[in-house]
Amino acid sequence: MISESYNVTDEKELVKASLNGDKKAFGEIVKRYQKMVARTVKGMLGDSVYAEDIGQEVFINLYYSLSDFRGESKLSTYIQKIAVNLTLNEIKRRKRFFSMFSHKANTEMHEFEIADHDTEGRKEASELVDKALQAMDPKFRIIVTMRMLQGYSTKETAEILNLPMGTVLSRLSRAQEQLRNILVKL
Amino acid sequence: MNPSEIKNLMISALDADTDAAEVSRVVEEEGISYNFNPDFGDKVLNKIFSAGIAVNREIEFVKYLNFAFYRVALAGVAAIVLLVISIFLMDGSFSLNSFLGLSDNYNESIVCLLTGN
Repeated sequence: MISESYNVTDEKELVKASLNGDKKAFGEIVKRYQKMVARTVKGMLGDSVYAEDIGQEVFINLYYSLSDFRGESKLSTYIQKIAVNLTLNEIKRRKRFFSMFSHKANTEMHEFEIADHDTEGRKEASELVDKALQAMDPKFRIIVTMRMLQGYSTKETAEILNLPMGTVLSRLSRAQEQLRNILVKL
Repeated sequence: MNPSEIKNLMISALDADTDAAEVSRVVEEEGISYNFNPDFGDKVLNKIFSAGIAVNREIEFVKYLNFAFYRVALAGVAAIVLLVISIFLMDGSFSLNSFLGLSDNYNESIVCLLTGN
């Protein structure tokens, strides 16, 4: 069971043990970082079933690419990069899917995502944040997710998204403008 | 927090000089949090470790296939190089005829071969 505690605190040791096939060690990695992945994936895709699947895919990809992790950056950054890439790929895949049926792919995709939410019992604040996020352009949505939900600095955001600092700063300002316009309507 | 305060918080999170970690903490305190289902971790481990054997076999097969391909390809390249060198040594040039195994008076040779005379 994943709920069992694991004594090793050093993440490099956890990675090493996981590479040696220690199921419990990898379970500990999943336990430690699943909330972080959930914030990225659900922030980007909305609170849907797909988000859960993408979340699982993140850790499966992590397991099979652990040998590539050289420990130069934090494990959390490495996982976050996988999460961002898989989430953006899923958004592209959905966009392609919707564009097959309509020319207004973006609009319908956003409508679908908002409608897909299980709004019952969720707090007003959560709903507001979700609706605003899902109405945003994905390239700005990821910036808001990194800053507001993950609490990353501009430098960390640039590193995770593999973008130059200048691009992140420009996207921050454009995302802010778009968010203002969306929030007026909500 | 009322909706307008949440909106302001969201907008302020995008200021470059805002402490994003602090914003994220406040957001979580307000109940805006995301998590997977409680059995998420178990599902991930089951997927990895039950599929592990099949995936390993597949990876090994691809590895052996690559290895075999490289051996065949290297042997092929070596044979071609040897053939080219031997042609050059025998005929003293890399002309098209020498590659095709034909001498300069090949017309007659072909006629001889075809007619048997």
